[in-house]
Amino acid sequence: MNRALIPVTIVTLFIVAFQLAILSSLRIDGVVVMLVWLWPLALGLAGSASLAVWSALLSGIFFDTHAATPFGLTALVGLAIAYVASRLGREGVGDLDSAALWVTPVIAAAAGFVAPLAYVVAGALTLHFSMWHASLGESMVVNAVAFFLLARPVGRLAIMVSGSGARVRR
Amino acid sequence: MTAILVVLYLSGGIVSGLRGVANLVVAPFDWTVSTIARPIGHLFAGVVNYSDVVNQNQKLRYELGQAQLRANQVWPLERQLQQLTTELHVPYVGSLPSVAVQVTAISPTNFAATIDISKGRDNGILVGMPVVGNGGLVGTVISTTPHGATVRLITDIDSSIGVTDGHGAKSIIVTGQGVNSGLRATSVPLNTSLKTGTLLWTDGLQGGLYPPGLPVASVTSLTLTPGAATYDLTLKPAADLRHLTYLDVVQWEPST
Repeated sequence: MNRALIPVTIVTLFIVAFQLAILSSLRIDGVVVMLVWLWPLALGLAGSASLAVWSALLSGIFFDTHAATPFGLTALVGLAIAYVASRLGREGVGDLDSAALWVTPVIAAAAGFVAPLAYVVAGALTLHFSMWHASLGESMVVNAVAFFLLARPVGRLAIMVSGSGARVRR
Repeated sequence: MTAILVVLYLSGGIVSGLRGVANLVVAPFDWTVSTIARPIGHLFAGVVNYSDVVNQNQKLRYELGQAQLRANQVWPLERQLQQLTTELHVPYVGSLPSVAVQVTAISPTNFAATIDISKGRDNGILVGMPVVGNGGLVGTVISTTPHGATVRLITDIDSSIGVTDGHGAKSIIVTGQGVNSGLRATSVPLNTSLKTGTLLWTDGLQGGLYPPGLPVASVTSLTLTPGAATYDLTLKPAADLRHLTYLDVVQWEPST
């Protein structure tokens, strides 16, 4: 069993709690910043594929149990983000220590921009068409900007919790 | 495709049980985060917005005084209206019982305009009951547990309400435009008497989802699309949906 599984699980639950208790009421231009998607992205870019997938599943499911939207959609989008980020992480793209300063934030911004759209498309595929609405564009832009700004600190936290940095150094 | 089928499958009955279990798991983390972060957030908000809070307090005191004055003036008329509506067998919203509730959570997502409230089935709250507060209709109860309920706000994209201006105008359907957006109505006849600022109320048509007389929204603009024979209306909810704390659930069930 991965030794980082327990710390990652605990941090993931705290991130879900932070998302629900703080970010949901701290809306920017009416938009909620989806930290539950940024966290698996950061773990994936840190090279921890299995932990990224686990955290995406866990955070998505716990988040979905609190939302009145179709169950499983947040987890589904989180899994997609975790998968793509893990592929990039395996190639060393977006590594906080070796890649250029802007690479991780730009990848995160792209994910933040696409994720709300992917969520709505996934919703439409499950016959929930009502999620298309006027503020989708705002959701995409706000999440892109927030992910850009938070990518490096959250990435650093991901390396610390998953122990990826220690593995690389050894 | 498999994932989609799984999502569809899980959207059914077992989700309600799963929600309860997940809530139990997240609750201690939620409590810890709230205990640490909320006071810090309130401290910063208080420091930054202190003058606003003082101004708001003064404004609220003034409005409370005005509301008390109006209530005293309106009381005889209200009694008369109640008598008339009773004679006409029309449900009068002022006479319906209600349950006072506290808002416990707002929707954590960008894709559904809902809130959670502090009372549920054990207090007589049932699915379909209208929720009012902050000056107007807030939404409808869409799910209940023994000790809580979820309310779909009128701005939710799935919300639609039959309204009228109370001056003989035909009933029109107002729909939500999503989280933090206003309301909209389409296909309003050109001969309408509606104008900017007109307050619209639930029409209370038989078989409708709401009792008559609940203030819903005021008209902010009427748009005539070139070539169209009808108006499109944009509306502002009568209730201030950004600051929901205490509400009333009207114990009225839609007739089937």
